[in-house]
Amino acid sequence: MGFDVGASAVGTERTTAKSARSGSRGGTRREVLRGLLAPAFAVALAPVVAASRPPRPTDGGADGPFDETYRGRRIQGVPVPGARAVDPDRWRVTVDGHPLHLMRRADGSWLSVVDHYGSYPTPLAAARAAVDALGPHQQLREHGIGHGTAPATGHGRHHHTGGEYDVHA
Amino acid sequence: MTYTRKDVSTLTAAERRRFVTAMLEVKRRGEYDEFVRMHIEYYTADGEDGLRAGHMTPSFLPWHRRFLLELERALRRIDDSVTVPYWDWTRDRATTAVPWTNDLLGGNGRRSDQQVTTGPFAYAEGNWTIEESVTDGRFLTRDLGRARRPIELPTWREVQWALDDGVYDAAPWDSTATEGFRNKLEGWGTGRGSASWRNHNRVHRWVGGAMLGGASVNDPVFWLHHAFVDLQWTRWQRLHPGAPYLPEHPPGLGDLQRGRIVARHEKLPPWDVTPQSLEDVGRIYRYA
Repeated sequence: MGFDVGASAVGTERTTAKSARSGSRGGTRREVLRGLLAPAFAVALAPVVAASRPPRPTDGGADGPFDETYRGRRIQGVPVPGARAVDPDRWRVTVDGHPLHLMRRADGSWLSVVDHYGSYPTPLAAARAAVDALGPHQQLREHGIGHGTAPATGHGRHHHTGGEYDVHA
Repeated sequence: MTYTRKDVSTLTAAERRRFVTAMLEVKRRGEYDEFVRMHIEYYTADGEDGLRAGHMTPSFLPWHRRFLLELERALRRIDDSVTVPYWDWTRDRATTAVPWTNDLLGGNGRRSDQQVTTGPFAYAEGNWTIEESVTDGRFLTRDLGRARRPIELPTWREVQWALDDGVYDAAPWDSTATEGFRNKLEGWGTGRGSASWRNHNRVHRWVGGAMLGGASVNDPVFWLHHAFVDLQWTRWQRLHPGAPYLPEHPPGLGDLQRGRIVARHEKLPPWDVTPQSLEDVGRIYRYA
């Protein structure tokens, strides 16, 4: 089975402004959403990637890979090999094997798709906070947003024009 | 004709019923999930590349103002007596008070899985199945007050702290701005943990469940919360007459924010409107 790593990972990785400026331009939110049909592959891929990396401390140093059980959930995170040996701004994080989408704040902290109104100093802290936010029985959705029947590409319908409101004084 | 947005605690039984009925109809028509998707799509964080229209950005307020107008238009197509009520979370602070009553939004999620099981938006009622979400649950979730590590709603003093800032927004025009009304109200504080969650952000966290994630629009309280946030913008304008939306002009060459924020006279995606055109909505609606 051949997985297209680049295509499958688009739903779970982010390229920050910093790495974008360095040349490895990443997906915008819209591009990420368009990729959400694919990340079922990433679910299968993420543990393989984690296992293939050299053994490192898993206690979640600022930049280190992690693999731990937190409140009964397995959370794993690895920096994703990028243009450089390892680009610390690109991570693949999973909760019970399901991809957790992370975003970056301007101060360098991280926020996840299940906790959008605060941020955390490391991907590990963001993953733990995501477990806290998920509650006892919920899992991350395999296809991210939506159920696959109405993928995010439907956004094209949203480009309203402004003529409905004349709000000038 | 100007219409009025009311404090949700003042709605009559009939007004509550008509608001809920219109919301359920917007959902039934499939229009509601478009709003959920749109909000997800326009959440670009400020450590990412690309234009920030909705969050961590000066246009946080006009973007959500227009977003509310779109929902309100959908509601009023169904029942033109309906407007979006606001939830004054500085006053209605109990998990059993409005808007968490069975004739409005229903109550807290149950402890076992955060599922909302009361009121018209409970899954078992069959009218509010979550379609666009970041989790696999098909039911609305809440964790009012965050049971495991309780937090409080913002106080009026915290809102006043934002209102007292006479400058709309300030460089670097993102979540790290320490000056300016916009970020003090949006609520990206400095530091870590509870002290860093202010005003708008803190309310999303206090409600918890769906409201904490990218698909926060799934909880109808999203609109009542943002109507109250929107009301603060009108209050701020009254407190600081003539103070405009900022920035007036796009950032210059070499500015890291160039192309990433919306200046006062630029188009605010996805609409063909500018922040300036949304500064005065007095001819569309007013707050009671």
